Amino acid sequence: MSTAENLPAASGRRPLSIRSIINNAGIGLALLLMIIFFSVASEHFLSANNITNILTQITINLVLAVGMTFVILIGGIDLSVGSVMAFAAVVAGKAITLPGMGATELIILAILAGLMAGMICGFINGAVSAYWSLPSFIITLGMLNIARGAGLQISGAQTIYSFPFAFEEFGSKLIFGVPVVFLVALSLVVVAWFILNRTVFGRLIYGIGNNEEAVRLAGHPVFWYKVAAFSICGLTAGIAAIIYMARLNISSPIAGIGFELNAIAAVIIGGTSLSGGRGSVIGTLLGAFIIGVLANGLILIGLSDFVRQMITGVVIVVAVILDHYRAKYSAT
Amino acid sequence: MKLIKFVAAAATGILLSTGIAIAEEKPVVGLIMKSLANEFFQNMLEGAEAHAEARGDYELRAVGMQNETDFESQINAVENFITQGVDAIVVAPADSKAMVRPLKRAMEAGIVVVNFDVALDEGAKKQQGVELAFVGPDNRGGAKLAGDALGQALGEGAKVVIIEGNPGADNATQRRMGFEDSVAEYKLELLDSRTAHWETEEANQLLANMLTANPDIQGVMAANDSMAIGAVKALEAAGRTDIKVVGFDAIPAVLPMIEDGRLLASVDQFGKEMAANSIDLALEVVAGGPALEGWVKTPIELVSGK
Repeated sequence: MSTAENLPAASGRRPLSIRSIINNAGIGLALLLMIIFFSVASEHFLSANNITNILTQITINLVLAVGMTFVILIGGIDLSVGSVMAFAAVVAGKAITLPGMGATELIILAILAGLMAGMICGFINGAVSAYWSLPSFIITLGMLNIARGAGLQISGAQTIYSFPFAFEEFGSKLIFGVPVVFLVALSLVVVAWFILNRTVFGRLIYGIGNNEEAVRLAGHPVFWYKVAAFSICGLTAGIAAIIYMARLNISSPIAGIGFELNAIAAVIIGGTSLSGGRGSVIGTLLGAFIIGVLANGLILIGLSDFVRQMITGVVIVVAVILDHYRAKYSAT
Repeated sequence: MKLIKFVAAAATGILLSTGIAIAEEKPVVGLIMKSLANEFFQNMLEGAEAHAEARGDYELRAVGMQNETDFESQINAVENFITQGVDAIVVAPADSKAMVRPLKRAMEAGIVVVNFDVALDEGAKKQQGVELAFVGPDNRGGAKLAGDALGQALGEGAKVVIIEGNPGADNATQRRMGFEDSVAEYKLELLDSRTAHWETEEANQLLANMLTANPDIQGVMAANDSMAIGAVKALEAAGRTDIKVVGFDAIPAVLPMIEDGRLLASVDQFGKEMAANSIDLALEVVAGGPALEGWVKTPIELVSGK
């Protein structure tokens, strides 16, 4: 295979979208089976309230997973998103509780501060790992600790509370039973889909995951593309932080422990390959739904906490096995 | 030969004199706590530091840990304190069994050991032949205070759920048992009992899902306030103002909620003073007082609106 064939962006074509539709249909089918099973097993599962709950409950994971998709597509990983989310929440929490300003100014300030905090962490992750060609696994593991420590330091390990009412209202607002925060997450999916499929930048993200050297030889600044992917991931962690605050009306420096694993799981279940270059953000959306529906449904049918945890693990493993076969068939 | 003896004698002399010099200085207290990322222990540390400054007659060396389950670092801390030859070790064990053996070594090294916050396991103490008092709150009794407040507010036969702390953590178990005591005493109906790992967001999702499965819930017992906050937000989102919630710890963030009635009650175990009080007890023993015995209970108090 020549390098030119490996570079979808260079030719401007989308690679085999039919195959990606089939892949996504597979995940969608799994989700559908799950939904059918739970609707039969629990009378409450398909109630309007429960659907609202599921949408609310997958929102944060979905937001994190959208950013994670960019990083995994370039063949990287970001283990820091849970900690970065907590750090951004603390920074935004400090901003929103500043004295002597109106509610609107405070909310705007806090949102900007939270998003900036997240993006800066992501920028550092990307810059350090790309500049020295270090595995992002270890750099973001470092950031996991740095961001967690910084959040605890700034907050003095205290929960920050009493936010403006308007902010809280945004977190619990529904439009026809659909949480506004979920619509925010959904619009992120749409934006990410557009970037990944309709822009040169997006195609090069896939290109880097497939064959980084080829992209470099074609004269593209691979370093900056990688930094951008990690910055986007940090930015989504900042957005998740704002959603967390709006929903719960507190900022906790110990929020988000282990969230990175759920976000990675959503991306992988959604069919994005851990080795990069293959996958889609629509798959990530479905992956987040699978995790959320599973968590919700297993409680409704009354399974114990420990069995629930085991089943979630099994689903992740099965998803990766399926991914193995997907990779095999798309290679032929 | 003579020379060697002389050197040995001189060395002994130096050792003795430095030994005396140390004895004349302030006693050193090693404080070993759990995760300082936990608000409760952070407040406790601040309380202890303020106390050390206020008393001024001892030196405080405090050690925390990275997270709740990292008890390896607590064992290392005990060993380091033995090496440093501190006068007393005041410890909140992260694991009630694993900490018994290292603390036994400290006691054998002549260090006064005070166990506070979480009691060491009785069986493990017996097995190691360790006699050690416990200074701390009655988590089970505290949870029962909160549970009773809920029982009184709801009346007999009311339907409740419990949101538990980390499975396997001693205080989580104690608090769950305390809630269950209230359930038995007020003849409440326990619909479900699950963990949310002490965390706000998880408790929020958990209660939303519990409400779907059991819309007739009347009361919620949360094993800490972080989870109680998540529960209150879930009820607000569901528009269920009829359901009452109790928590535990009385952290500052819930005080406004207790004020306006969104939270029925919480329990204050005066964490800020707990380490400081334990240090006081340790210093009394260091100064030649009698060894502590049994369970020295520290105060707990129900915090409620009216």
